[in-house]
Order: sequence, then structure tokens, then C-alpha cells
Amino acid sequence: MSVRIGLPRGLLYYQYGTVWEKFLHELGAEVVISGDTTKATLDHGSVLDEVCLPVKVYFGHVCDLYKEVDYLFSPRLISVSARQYTCPKIIGMTDMLRSNFKKLPPIIDTNVNLRQNQYSLYQAIVSLGRTLGRGPIPSLYAWYSASKYQKQQRISYKDEPDQQRIGLIGHPYILNDRQISMNVINKLRKFGCVVETPEDVSCHQSTAAVKDWKRIFWSSSHHMAGAALVLMQRPRPVDGIIFITSFSCGPDTLIGELINRRAQSLNIPFMLLTIDEHTAEAGFITRLEAFTDMLSRRKKP
Amino acid sequence: MIISFPHMGNLSVVLKTLFSGLGCEVLTPPPISKRSIELGIKYSPEAVCLPFKITLGNYIEALDQGANTIVTCGGVGPCRLGYYAEVQRCILQELGYQFEMIVIEPNLASVWKNLRRVAPKHSLREIYSTMRLVLAKMNALDNVQRKVQIIRPREMKKGESDVLWNNAIGEIDDASTMVTLRNAWHGAERNLDTVKLKSSIRPLRIGVVGEIFVMLEPSINLDLARRLGHMGVEVDTTMYLSDYVNGHLFRKSKYLEMYKRLANLAQPYLGHYVGGHALKSIAHTISMRQENYDGIIHVFPFTCMPEVVAKNILPKVSEDTGIPILSIAFDEQSGEAGLVTRLEAFVDLLQYRRLRNASEWDC
Repeated sequence: MSVRIGLPRGLLYYQYGTVWEKFLHELGAEVVISGDTTKATLDHGSVLDEVCLPVKVYFGHVCDLYKEVDYLFSPRLISVSARQYTCPKIIGMTDMLRSNFKKLPPIIDTNVNLRQNQYSLYQAIVSLGRTLGRGPIPSLYAWYSASKYQKQQRISYKDEPDQQRIGLIGHPYILNDRQISMNVINKLRKFGCVVETPEDVSCHQSTAAVKDWKRIFWSSSHHMAGAALVLMQRPRPVDGIIFITSFSCGPDTLIGELINRRAQSLNIPFMLLTIDEHTAEAGFITRLEAFTDMLSRRKKP
Repeated sequence: MIISFPHMGNLSVVLKTLFSGLGCEVLTPPPISKRSIELGIKYSPEAVCLPFKITLGNYIEALDQGANTIVTCGGVGPCRLGYYAEVQRCILQELGYQFEMIVIEPNLASVWKNLRRVAPKHSLREIYSTMRLVLAKMNALDNVQRKVQIIRPREMKKGESDVLWNNAIGEIDDASTMVTLRNAWHGAERNLDTVKLKSSIRPLRIGVVGEIFVMLEPSINLDLARRLGHMGVEVDTTMYLSDYVNGHLFRKSKYLEMYKRLANLAQPYLGHYVGGHALKSIAHTISMRQENYDGIIHVFPFTCMPEVVAKNILPKVSEDTGIPILSIAFDEQSGEAGLVTRLEAFVDLLQYRRLRNASEWDC
């Protein structure tokens, strides 16, 4: 029987999950991914104190998973690009797991640190393969074939003049998790808005947009800030920006402020929505409605 | 060019010497008061950490009083401190202030470049002698403070060492040459030696670990060290300005070795640097346990990213090693009464533990 490896559906899963899944599969492991986030996930996650909601959610997913698997896949992603970090809480996630669970299966916590050295990704892959009893060549080949699965499709925005276009800025693990984000993308679409997220902006464009700022050293925030500027500054800018953050997210407090100020100077309405596990849906909808109503009043001649 | 800078404990004494030694006009911001905190909160993003708000308050008050250049530090992450200056500059510009912001990145090249910028006409020799005085002042302050914290719980007359400490700060601040500084420093230590101590008392020993700004700035931590001292506790603050400068700026081998040792200690609990001082918080906790401290107080600003990681790991450290740990998050809402209650409860607990352990020894 092949080894069962658990993959929690949280944090950087939303960026790299498909590749990880394929990679582990290529190495001959059976991959178990936790289900969608539920209320129970949030309750389990509340064991952690003072951290942001996505980290609690990740913890909750591990609670769902850890009894059923032989290994837990939670690599320590310190940095995914040169001179940048992920976020202190993501770097320390494995240690928080270890300190707060009594009995965990072995964690695959290979360090991935591309801050100074791009080759360390391959070192990480080789050492990961070794954990599963594979040599360097099969591991690298597995990574090569898995990385082809990286999400390719980008939705190109349709040019519909009468529809409102909203730039929805937030971390992938907030926007793509329907429980945390209260399904905000679909809600806005129901109101008849076109929603554009940082995922619709290429890395190249976003990097170019923030080049005159001091280099933002959190890679996710770097992309979000750049994407927000791209959406606001192109020939047909978005009508409004909604910035979704979770309470006590560190980088967002500073980056959100900078985006807010830029939006003000470009005369684009900006709304900050902060969520935590106590956020109620009714209040959330009211604020979205108020915002879109305001945008449509602005559009009327 | 009228230079100003943020407050952090006795940092202002050191920076004042540095910039006036380089021939600049210096305006020390007014000491952190309720007003500076309120100003900072008013113009800061809501959920940002406390040091951001307070340093912003310092800048506003300094600029109001006529400063036109702010010197502050940068950073390369992942702690938020490294991006403070960018956002604060934006906020201050929007408030309509005309000023220049000099951001010193944590490497010697940037320090040097910015020193040349504020003091273009000075010779190497002058800069060197100024730097020597600055570093000596920093060491003097830290050493006197260490001594005060040892004397405080043992003194017969409560508050005697505090008076001497305040005098010492003033004298060290006034010293303009190495000779006067040495006199002030040794004078202060001699005065402290004359303080009458209670005989045969073995005070509780508590180590304070955590974030440097909250640890060093008494107006933010509600005078934690003095409060504990007056409760009869010997406090060991694990971070001083000189440690920070010697370790991060000059990268002295002694400090790098110490850091390596600490990282090894923390390894089983926190496997990698997460920014800020989280790794040291955990490592110091373990190392102080080995040195038989009675307890640890972990302080940090509310929502501080690295320390929150440490906070979620420390209970496990406490469980494994058996040292009690009290974590306290400070923000602008922190009240005195709440803090005193928690400190008293913690000190009581430690006293009780010590008594219990002693009686076990007797049997």
C-alpha cells in the first residue's frame, strides 16, 4: 500500500496545491486533501491565539486530516522569490502545529528558501523525494512533470461598458476560500459586477507597477499591491477597489494603507473589509450593496 | 537641517550625541505622552502594531516643533518594521508637512552613506571620534541600567536607585567627551554601590523576553521593569540597545556566536528565523530556565507577527521545561490596573512555587 500524505487546504495551497498534489502523486504517494472550510474548521482553528484567520483555518484543516494520514505535507515556505519572504506566520506554521498538537504524524517540512539562492528549490525537491524513499532523478522528473500542471488559464476580462468593474484585492487563500471570504466573488457577480482579482494580473505587470516603491518584501503583498495599481492605472480603470483582509494580518495593514492612498489620489472609491471568525454575513452583504450602489450612483451622469 | 528621530527607551540620548557630534542641529521629540500616542493613533491604519503608531506620533510632534529631517531605520523583512518608513512618509506628506526622511537600512554601507549625507564636511577622524563617544554612551547606559535592575528589589528605601538612575541618564546625556562620560558612568556606579540593601534576601528572578520596542520603552510597557523591581523582583531584560547594534550592525563575532547558540537552543521549537525577535524569545526562555530563573514575562505589541508565532509556541516550551511564562500584549488600550493585577498574580505564583520547592528540599 502506498503512503498516504495529507495536504491541508489552506494558506499557500491555493497557489501551489495542484503542483504539490501532482508531484506527490508522481512520487507514488496517495494524496489526501482536506475538504472545504466549514464552521467546524474555524472552531478547531481557534486554538491558536491572536493569529490571523487563514492561519487558524489551516490549523483547522490539519485537525480534519491528521488522523487519517501517514505523513502531513506542510513544507516551510520561507521565500518563493529573490529577496522576499512569505510571512512570519507562514514560516512558523509548522512549529505552531507541532507545539499545539499532542500527536501528529511525521510532518514533511522541507525548507524552501529562494531568498538568496534559486537552486534551493531543487535541493528541497531532492530532500523531499528522499523522505519518500526516492532518488534525486525520479524526484526531479516528478517535479518537472508536475509543474506542467500549474494553472494556465487566465480569464481575460470582457469589455462590457455598462457593467461595473470592481478590483477585488486580497490574498489567494482568502479570496478562494468560500467560507472565509463569504463567497464574495459570486455575491458581487450576482450584483452584476465584473470582478477582477490579483490573479488576473500577471506577475510581470504587477512588478513593473510597484517599481518606484521600496521593494515590498512579502511576495504575496508585493503582487497584490502591484495588481491593485495595474487595475487602477490602466486606460480603463476599475470603478472601485475592495480590499479584503483578515484581522491582524500584518502586511495588509501597511500595504492596504498605501493602496488606499493611491486610490484616493486617483479618485477611485476604496473599501476595506476586515474579516475574522466572528464576521456575520448580513453585515457583509449590506456593505457590499452599499458600495456597489454608491458606484452606480457615481456612474450616472 | 534640523534632525529628529523616534523615541525608544534611551535611544534619544544616543542619537542626540551622534547627530550633534556630526554638527547637525538636533530636535529631540517631546517624551512619549498621551498626546503623542493619540496623534499617532489618529493618523495610523487601525490594525497596525503599536510602535508604528507611537513613532508616527513622535514625528508629528517633532515636525510641529520645527524639525525638518527625520532619521529612522529601514529593514528587509519579514517584520513590518522594514516598511514603516514608506507608509509613515506617505501619511506625513498627506498631512502637509514639508520634511525629508532619511531611512537607514541595516547595513554598514547604508549607515555610512547617510552619515555622509547629514555630515558632508566632517573628516573621517571626526566621525570616528563621534561614533566612539556614541557607542560608549550606549554601553554606559545599558550597564548602569543592568545594575539598577539588580539593586531595585534589594534596596532598603524604595525608589532610591530610581533617583540615581535618572540622574545618571542626565549626566551621561550631558557628557561631551570620553573623559566626562567615563566620570559620569563610574560616578553613577559608585553612587549605586552606596545604596543601602536589605541583607539576606533572595529576590525572585524574572527574565523579560520579547519585542525590543515594548521592552525598552517604559511609557509603553507601563514601566514594567520598575514595577516588578518594586514588587521585589530582580528583572533581567534580555535585549539592550548595545546588543542590537553590536549584533545587527557591526556583526561582532561574540554576538554572532551567541545568536548561533540561541538558534540551536530554539531549534526543537522554532526551526527557522521568522523575523523580529521571536527566535530569541524562545531561546532566552530555554536558556534562562537552565540558569534557574523563576519565571519569564513575554512582552510584545498587539498583532506583532513574529511574536505571535512565539506566543503560540511558548506554552509548549513552558510545559516541557517547567518554567512559568506570562505573555502580555501591549496596545494603546493597555491599562495600568489590569497589568498590575496580572503581575501580582504571576509574582504570587512564583513565590508559591519557590516555597513549595524549598519545602520539598527540606523533607
